[in-house]
Amino acid sequence: MILTGTEIAANVAAGRICIDPFDPHMTNPNSHNYRLGPVLRTMERTEVLDSVQAPEFEDVLIPPDGIVLRPNLVYLGTTLERIGSEWYVPSLIGRSSVGRLGLYLQISADLGQLGAEHHWTLELAAVQPIRVYAGMTIGQVSFWEPIGEKVRYCGYYGTRSDPAPWSPEAVIGWNRPNHGQLSSVERQESQ
Amino acid sequence: MILTGPEIKRQVDSGRICISPFNIDQLSPNSYDFRLSETIAWYVDDILDCRQYNKTITSTIPEEGMVLRPDRIYLGSTAERMGSEHYVPIIRARSSIARLGLFIHVTADLIDIGSINHWTLQMHAVQPTRIYPGMLIGQVTFWCTKGEIVLYRGKYRNSVGPMGSLIHLDAERESNAALA
Repeated sequence: MILTGTEIAANVAAGRICIDPFDPHMTNPNSHNYRLGPVLRTMERTEVLDSVQAPEFEDVLIPPDGIVLRPNLVYLGTTLERIGSEWYVPSLIGRSSVGRLGLYLQISADLGQLGAEHHWTLELAAVQPIRVYAGMTIGQVSFWEPIGEKVRYCGYYGTRSDPAPWSPEAVIGWNRPNHGQLSSVERQESQ
Repeated sequence: MILTGPEIKRQVDSGRICISPFNIDQLSPNSYDFRLSETIAWYVDDILDCRQYNKTITSTIPEEGMVLRPDRIYLGSTAERMGSEHYVPIIRARSSIARLGLFIHVTADLIDIGSINHWTLQMHAVQPTRIYPGMLIGQVTFWCTKGEIVLYRGKYRNSVGPMGSLIHLDAERESNAALA
């Protein structure tokens, strides 16, 4: 079940959902809007991105008169707000006002994990050149009630509140939280 | 929880979901396929701006179709009037359309509860793609809610054709708030 805006606000008040800062005017009928943080990270100096190589990146502070995003590049940004919940599963997408301008806020990865509470990394991609501004209301997050025992996310990206590029270790799967546990089981078996 | 196709039909019959016109042949096991209307729009300027009004041109998709360019965002509209005051709709492309590399929304699949109208589609083609008026382009699912429902009263209500972004109203609201 998806939480209504009223229910999101009630859970923020009860401490079961973190949206910080929380502005009640940004609540929608079944989601809550978030704003764009001030820093964008680009990998435009690298011609071909390599999933198992750490990227060379450049940080840009969005000036007061905005910055024009160019098509055919991925820009990593963050939510201005800290967002997360141990109780409800977040799904982070754009707003229709922004989608109508052809700006993607994530690249087929809208699903958050239970327990990850941080400034979320946004994957911005523009169909046409578009000027964006720091602090603008750019997307929305919805919250979903899960079924089953809850386990907290302990993965790498949940600790990052900057526009975090991919981690080669995470791509390969070396830093999965259960990898250490699995290898200790394997060690015991081999002894 | 997601509604099954037969449950969508039952809710349409009881008036708790609006899909108009409704055609039983467009019902899937857990979604309903919708059509593309004949009206299409795009922006006049090449560079868009989140604080300015971005002017659009509106046109009609001819019977012989129209080719969408990859470097442009197009606004279409559902042929059907749809929505619900009881369930949250989520839209997406049909897999037949996705296999062509055609996005029908740009990370904005979630429809507000109470937004009952012809929804605007945000169309982006990865390769040049020919589209036709009336084609079955997308599907809508309906989801149960938890909590008190407050219906959508936003700026896109009552839209009938493809509606351009009204994001410049945010900047006006923000500057009015700063002045107040």
